[in-house]
Parts: sequence; structure tokens; C-alpha cells
Amino acid sequence: MTPPSFRRRAVLGAAAGALFAPLLAGCSDGDGASTAAGGKVTLTFAWWGNDDRAQRTNAAVALFEKRHPNITVRTSFAGYPAYVQKLATQAAGGDLPDVAQLDYRQISQYAGSGTLLDLGPYVKNGTLQTADFDKSLTRTGVYDGKQYALPMGKGTTGIVYDATVFKKAGVATPQPGWAWDDWAEAGKKISALGMKGPNGHTYTGLSDLGVNEDAFETWLRSRGKELYASEHRLGFTTDDLTDFWTFTDRLRRAGVVSQARDTAQIGGAVEDTPMGRGIAATDFNWDAPFLGYPPLLGDQVHFAPVPTTDGKVGQYFKPTMLIGAGAGTQHPKEAAELIDFLLNDAAAGKILGVTRSTPPNEKIAESIGKTLTGPEKEVYDYGRTIAAHGTGAPPMAPPRGDVVLQVSFQRDYQRVSYGMESPRGAAEEYVAEAKRELR
Amino acid sequence: MTTTATPPPRTARATATPPEQRKRGQRGGPAYIFLTPWILGVVLLTLAPMAVSLYLSFTDYNLFDPPKWVGLRNYSDMFTADPRYWRSVGTTLLYVVVAVPLKLAIALGVALLLSNTRKAKGFYRSAFYAPSLLGASMAVALVWRALYNDGGTVDELLSSIGIHTGGWVSDPHLAVFVVALLSAWQFGAPMVIFLAGLQQIPADLYEAAALDGAGRWRRFVSVTLPMLSPVVFFNLVLETIQSFQVFTPAFAISGGNGGPADSTEFYTLYLYERGFTASHMGYASAMAWVLLLAIGAVTLVLFRTSRSWVFYANEGA
Repeated sequence: MTPPSFRRRAVLGAAAGALFAPLLAGCSDGDGASTAAGGKVTLTFAWWGNDDRAQRTNAAVALFEKRHPNITVRTSFAGYPAYVQKLATQAAGGDLPDVAQLDYRQISQYAGSGTLLDLGPYVKNGTLQTADFDKSLTRTGVYDGKQYALPMGKGTTGIVYDATVFKKAGVATPQPGWAWDDWAEAGKKISALGMKGPNGHTYTGLSDLGVNEDAFETWLRSRGKELYASEHRLGFTTDDLTDFWTFTDRLRRAGVVSQARDTAQIGGAVEDTPMGRGIAATDFNWDAPFLGYPPLLGDQVHFAPVPTTDGKVGQYFKPTMLIGAGAGTQHPKEAAELIDFLLNDAAAGKILGVTRSTPPNEKIAESIGKTLTGPEKEVYDYGRTIAAHGTGAPPMAPPRGDVVLQVSFQRDYQRVSYGMESPRGAAEEYVAEAKRELR
Repeated sequence: MTTTATPPPRTARATATPPEQRKRGQRGGPAYIFLTPWILGVVLLTLAPMAVSLYLSFTDYNLFDPPKWVGLRNYSDMFTADPRYWRSVGTTLLYVVVAVPLKLAIALGVALLLSNTRKAKGFYRSAFYAPSLLGASMAVALVWRALYNDGGTVDELLSSIGIHTGGWVSDPHLAVFVVALLSAWQFGAPMVIFLAGLQQIPADLYEAAALDGAGRWRRFVSVTLPMLSPVVFFNLVLETIQSFQVFTPAFAISGGNGGPADSTEFYTLYLYERGFTASHMGYASAMAWVLLLAIGAVTLVLFRTSRSWVFYANEGA
């Protein structure tokens, strides 16, 4: 045996070295630099979304490559949580893809730190057209007076529901203005049917929305409050969050919403939601991901407005996602061309449809609105119905800490749904973390 | 000194430069040149990052903006304001307390069986060692997840005898044991060390014990265990340190989020999340330093207690 003193040191050294191994490993991740070989330009383009969006986007990219024989586009996509994490690492390393789909939540952080290319010059010289865009929507990509990103779609939230099951349970078709209590009542009636999903899972009326920060936001807005009051302050109190989580927790205890183990599997993909897995009759989601449900469940799946509180609407329109270019791109002109093609080309618009919700280019939106069928038409019509019915003014762009808080929201509630924490205890923990995050 | 050389006269030796000193001087230069790659590696890849991380632990650093000095705030937040931090400490301690003894017991048990095997010795040893070669890989952890998932093999087997668990991975009270079992399954490395230790125990001790009428159990408790205690200690220290740093299996089995309900949120996983998902590099660095000190403290305690139970043959009798 080696003497203890030597071993202790070796052991501590190894410990110290190994401690940092994961940190070092994380840095090596990257899409690689784009290269120009023999006059050919290679662009990288990344987005998040499901397979359907990937197919459509790749088809549109193929058309772009056909039109620009000297440009090759390497595409990659992932689910939302993985994508956000990877992009953050790339951004920190100054190695963003040439063209990247961005979340509204990321804009202030990325633009503020100089990781995004200023698209202003390309808008000015006409490479990027924004004439047919809704001005207020275009503005969501502006930071500090510069156009860092452009919206890829205009979307809103809604309730995905299975009309056949609703009928079976004797629940009326949800209409604009229906209330959160009607939503809970519908869930009770459906759960009372005692249906079974795959593998003998209990089939519930509703998905547990306690994990969903977006759902909480619409619920909160329908009660006249906001998620954030300013860059550094929440717009709600511990009591508000306790009320929301008590509401969902009671429904769970009554067997009306999905059970903890199924709620815990909710990730970025429609396939992992209780409804997507065939064990719940409704879900809350954005209008673009709604398109993922009918292929899994059938055409009896429809999209209804988000419930209100005494008729007050909480939902609103926001840029579903934005598109920008990495500040370090070797080919800014080509990157701008790709962005312009995806947003403004009529043929591309037709291929992409409403996979990122209603297109920001209103001419394209109108022209494809006529050709759409099935669920896509429903998304398009839904947007028009909601707009006509009136929504509140959109809230301020989410502050920096929101990306983290959205994850914590889900985790804090998971502990409630497993019965390991009270709604109040979890709400207190969340609000305390939010205060640290926003300071 | 070579045997052919005549020893120099005593007087000459006394007046000349001390040979040891000259020798050291002559060897120094080339030695350092040869050591350069290693020294560079240590300085650039270990010491410098450690120094930077120590500095960062006193800052608010989000990777995008320059680090902002915040003094001890990261540490005070960690200890006083972050319940998730303490949950991760609790989970990690539970894991260490379960996984380390389990793994060592299995490793010792198999080593005892294998040390007496005569047929196909090499085959069995390789076969039992193999899992630990695969151990660190993501693939095995994913297979493990599939085994213990809702509707996975283990779930089906238990269901067939009437025990319905609904998948250990999605049960916050069981998920941590899935990770512990994966670690225990990779008992190859300590097993090999135990085997080597077992071979070193003089056979005459067993013969003497047998002559005195000691049975198998008695020989194990009174001969094998004391003679093996330095090896047990060595394995215990190594495994404890490794277990505190468990990352890959927990990351894969929980799908990267420490779930369900934070039940596999080990210290390193939370550290990684704070650093790379939440972009709080300062906080993550502070966590890393606390972990380093904590592992050091635990190791120190192990060394202290070892004086009362580790038996070195050369010290004994």
C-alpha cells in the first residue's frame, strides 16, 4: 500500500481535476465554423421544433439551395429545452450558427451581449424585406434601436381538445369567453367517464397546467395581473401563485388532471404531453405546436380559446419565434438572403405553412390562408377569431432571468404534484428564487 | 555506484562538492525539459482554470457580460437562501451512503468467489470487469433508464409477480436507487483491487487458522477482513470521492433535469445546471469549491477513522 499522505494528495488532485471535467467538456460543443471552399458558401441554420417543422423547414431550405447553387445550408434542430441550452453555450463561446431561430425570451440577453448580427444594414439595402410585416411585430426584434432579429410568426395560446371525448362526456364545445371554472368542470365530466389510455393508464380530462408558466401567465392576466412588473420585479405575489397551484393541485387530487408521473414527463415535445400520449383529453399550448396533435390523435382534435376569468381574456399575441444571425458569421449577406427567403418568398411560405404559426408577412399569410386545409386552416382561422374577439396588450419582453424561472416553475410545481410540498411552500420558494434571479 | 569503480579516498570526498548536490544539479535541467509538457498541462488545464474558478466564485458571471464582483453573495445564497441546493446535498449524501457500501460489498463478494476459481479464471474476471469499462458511457445509462422505466423490463418482471411500481425512474422515492444500482453494477474496478489484495494474504495464516479449528466464516472475519482492510480502505476512499461526483448516469437517467421532482438532482447535476442552463457561472464555481472542500473534509475524516480499523501487516504483532 502507498502511504496515506501520498494517497490523500493524489486523491484530492484527482478530485479537483475531475470536478472541472464536466465544465471543460461543455465547452467543446459547437456546430463548427462555416467554411467557403471553391467559391461555395456553407451556412449553418438551427431551430427548435418537432419533426413536421423539420421536414417543412428542410424542404424550404432545399428550395433555397436550388435557387442559390453556390450556397449549402447545414441544418440542425432539437426540442426546445435542449436547443435553448445548446444555443446559450454557443452564444457564450461566440459561436452561434450563421442563422438561428430565437425565442422572444432570449432576445434581450443575446442582443445585449453582442452575439447577434445587426440586420439593419441588410434591411436598408433591400436584402431583407419587411414592408409587408406588421410594424409592431417587427419591433419585437429591436434591441437598443437596432434590428437584431425578425419575427418568424405571430401566435397565441389555446386549449387543444378532443371533440369526440367532449361529446361523449356531454361537454359543450368551448366558445370564446368560456371560464376557467368551465374548463375544470369539463375535466371533471371527462374524468368521470373512467376511460383508459395505452398501458392501462387512467385517462383524465385535463393536463396538469401547474407546471406551465405560460398557462399561469394567461390565468394571471385574466385576473388583471402580469408575470413581470419590470426588469427587476414580479407582477404577482406569493398569494397569486399559491392560488393557482392550489387550484391545479385540488384538480389533481380529485383525479381531474394528469397524475404526477405523467406530468413529470412533459418536456418540449407534443409527444411527451399527457394528451399527446393519449391519456388526457385537453392540453394548453401555443397555436404552432397545436399542429403536432392531430397527426398523433386524429382529426377530431381542435383548438379552443384559453379560458377567461369572468370574461376577461388573458391570452395575447406575441412573436412565436424570431430569426437572427450570429455576429460571428463569415457570410452575413448570404445569411440575410436565407432569412429573407424564409420570411418573404411565396414558394417558401407555401412550404412552411403555419408551422411557426401565422406568417409575419401579411401578404403571404393572406395568400396561404386561402390554400390551407384541415388543422393548418384551423390555426389560421383561430388567429383571426382571437384577434377579432380582442386580446389584452402584450406584456413587456420577458426579462433575462425568465429562461431560468420558466424551468424552476415546472420543477417547483413537480414537487407539489408528487405531494412533497404544499402549494404555498412551493410558491414561496419560487418567488424567493425569482427575486434573486431578477435583482 | 558501480561495483567496478574504486571508492575515492576519504579526504578527497570530504573536500569536493557533495556528490548528492552535484548530481541533483546535473539532473535538474533535462528533467525539467522532459517535464515541461506535463507542467504546462497542469498549469494551463488544471491550476489556471482552478484559480479562475475561485475568482469567479466571488462574482456574478452570466457568460455574456464581464464578471461582476459580489463578494461572498454566492456562498451566502447557497447556504441560506437556496432550498434546492440543500436538497441536492441531501440527495448526494443519500446516494453516497447507499451506493458506496453496496458496490464495495458486491465487489468483495465477487472477488472472494473469483479468487478461489480455478477453471476459466481469466474469462470470469474479464466478464465481471466488463460492465465498469462500459460504465461511464451515456449509452449504458440510457439502457438502464429503459430497463427501469414505466413499462420497462424491470417494471414488467415485477408486474408479472404482482408488484406494480409503474417504473422506478418516474418515482421520486426510487429514482435515486436506479442510479445507485447502476453504480453497483459497475463493481469491476474495486473487484480487481480486492482480488489483488486477496492474493497477497499469506496462505499460512489460513492454514494456521484452519488448524486452530476456524471455520470459513471465522477465517473470513479474523483473517481475510483484517488483512484486507488497507485495500478496503483504499477502495472506500476512491469510491466515496467518485460517488460525490456522480454525474453522467444521473444526467442520462433523469433526462438531464434531475427529475422527477428533483429526486436525482445530485450536487454535480445542480452545479452543471446553474452554470450551463441558468448561466450563473459564479454560483456554479462557488458550488464547485464547496464540493472540493467537502470531499476533502470527508476524505480527511475517513483517514482519521482508518487508524482504528485499518490493519497494516508490517505494523501489527
